[in-house]
Amino acid sequence: MIRCGYCGHEFAEEEGIRSCGKCGKPGGCRMVRCPKCFYENPPEAKAPKTLRKVIDLLKK
Amino acid sequence: MFERKRSLPADGTPAGAVTRKVALVGNPNVGKSVLFNALTGAYVAVSNYPGTSVEVSRGSASFEGGSWEIIDTPGMYSILPITEEERVAREILLTERPDVVLHVLDARNLERMLVMTLQLVEAGLPVILVVNIMDEAERMGLEIDIPLLQEKLGIPVIGAATAKKRGLPEIRKAIASCDAAHHASFGYSRRLEGDIAEIAGLLSGEYTLSGKSLALLLLQRDEEIAALVAGKEGDRAGAIAEKVREKTFERRESFHLDLSLERKGIVKGLLAGVLRTPEKRRVTAGERLSSWAVHPLTGVPLLLAVLYYGLYQFVGVFGAGTLVDFLEGTLFEEYFNPWIIGVVNGIVPWEIIRELIVGEYGIITLGLRYAVGIILPIVATFFLFFSVLEDSGYFPRLALLVDRIFKKFGLTGRAVIPMVLGFGCDTMATMVTRTLETTRERIIATVLLTLAIPCSAQLGVIMALLSQAPGALLVWSVCLLLIFLVVGFLSAKVMPGETPMFYMELPPMRLPQLSNVMTKTYTRMQWYFMEILPLFILASVLLWLGKITNFFDKLVNWMEPVMAFIGLPRDAAVAFIFGFFRRDYGAAGLYDLQTKGLMDPRQLVVAAVTLTLFVPCVAQFLMMKKERGLKSATLIALFVSVVAVGSGWALNRFILFTGIL
Repeated sequence: MIRCGYCGHEFAEEEGIRSCGKCGKPGGCRMVRCPKCFYENPPEAKAPKTLRKVIDLLKK
Repeated sequence: MFERKRSLPADGTPAGAVTRKVALVGNPNVGKSVLFNALTGAYVAVSNYPGTSVEVSRGSASFEGGSWEIIDTPGMYSILPITEEERVAREILLTERPDVVLHVLDARNLERMLVMTLQLVEAGLPVILVVNIMDEAERMGLEIDIPLLQEKLGIPVIGAATAKKRGLPEIRKAIASCDAAHHASFGYSRRLEGDIAEIAGLLSGEYTLSGKSLALLLLQRDEEIAALVAGKEGDRAGAIAEKVREKTFERRESFHLDLSLERKGIVKGLLAGVLRTPEKRRVTAGERLSSWAVHPLTGVPLLLAVLYYGLYQFVGVFGAGTLVDFLEGTLFEEYFNPWIIGVVNGIVPWEIIRELIVGEYGIITLGLRYAVGIILPIVATFFLFFSVLEDSGYFPRLALLVDRIFKKFGLTGRAVIPMVLGFGCDTMATMVTRTLETTRERIIATVLLTLAIPCSAQLGVIMALLSQAPGALLVWSVCLLLIFLVVGFLSAKVMPGETPMFYMELPPMRLPQLSNVMTKTYTRMQWYFMEILPLFILASVLLWLGKITNFFDKLVNWMEPVMAFIGLPRDAAVAFIFGFFRRDYGAAGLYDLQTKGLMDPRQLVVAAVTLTLFVPCVAQFLMMKKERGLKSATLIALFVSVVAVGSGWALNRFILFTGIL
């Protein structure tokens, strides 16, 4: 889950609005916009996400 | 629209069962979406509500032997809508006729939020009340007698902490056994009840909302409800409209206030014996800081302290000073560059190629040095500072604080989002201006972003530059602030129109979490660096091409009169050409000129102000074109160029005349 840095709304990465990639930046900005207020939030970094998955697996 | 697969629920649904609808309603930030995620089953569909840009999530769920469609409505504060989100939420209640309306509210703000419960119950909707975030309320010492509240309201009331899965089985059970016929009725003053009865008595159509609720909305001049009633009542519509006109005229002085006070009185009565607050509630440090941050008297000094310690001391002095000195001055200039120049000279026999790799505008000696030695430490410290502020919940408070000033520009506090993001990257911020309600707001915000909001890297480099000359940073800051205020004020005058209302729910202020801050900083830095490095290399190649074809010299010659006009040396044109690729690249060019001793403090501050205001980088121009169209983008770019050069000229004259630097 991503907590929006502006309005505090919590949303899953898939619920957020992905960058359109039309700004001329190579590969787009990869930011995820909050579906409520449109504030751009960085997606969860891969390393902590993987670590969390491993911890969840170990817990099971 | 996209669909998100979820695991199928354990509790299967009988084949052929009728699917009933549950609508989740409530203020923003009360945990509706968490509850929605907890309830929904196999599929979740997120799509724009027809004819709007508002997204509505729908999911399916099976529990207690029934099949349910769960709708997560946008945040609403009242059944009388103001924003587009609220209009959509009410539209869902009116047209989709949900079998259950789950009103989710925050237990910590029971008194304020219960007013909407009152409206929903009064409207005759099948309401279940979820008093959420009970865990936090209990931590604050609040005691809520849920059974007593249920008895008083006459509807199911469940105490929950959905983020911790508390109360979920009770909510499912309540949904399955919801009985819309049972609810309490609340009485207003005799006069108001009389008015309501007169209007409601004239209504004979079939409506989702009760006559009482419709009458109150008509008295509050709700145009959508007026149109709905006109459509359903046929010949009687004229008489109803006349009666509403008569009553609203009689009560024109203070109807909204009277109604609000009466509803508050009812809520107070409901909460008597239900809510117990500790005699001396401990005000937390976060709450105190939050209240300081939004009040002008304390908020402005707090903002200045944040800017001074965060932006100037941490990003400017430490990032752009200490770290850049070490990385660029020591590592690159003393060790890396001499070594790589030696290596390349030793293995590459062609001078033209040596020039491309390690020459004056070489990929390594200029592109890589700017990217790693100058920009990287600045953006790293900026993003760290930015992430700390973001995680603390300061930004929405800043929006409230500046709302009053922004209204003078025809903007609202909502425009703080693109403005704040502009300090990170103006291109993305220009795109975010689409969230503003009116075209007028979007154009004003785009002009201000393009003109007076420097991006993080540019800001850091300029701070490092100007901190060398006493007073220069102050002159630069005052200039930028003045131009921001004057252009903003004039834009609002030139483009007349109404400024929309702005209000938002403040999320709690909290101590930033180290893991969150580091993750955000790392992700932003990674993205930024991956973006600038190829561009800096491309710029180096283009500059090298320009040099070997003499086009670069010609360009500098063409720009010489403009440089002379604003009192700058010929070499400053190089920084402005760099700035066309990216403004931070241009600022780094100024940094180079300053370290070579080619500019005095007056020229430095004039160049910094002109470059900050100057034409945006290529990426931002493309974004402006996409968001505002080619004509508006070109006009804005021309306007910005004229203001930049004009301000540079005026500032140069002013400094020469007063001799302040």
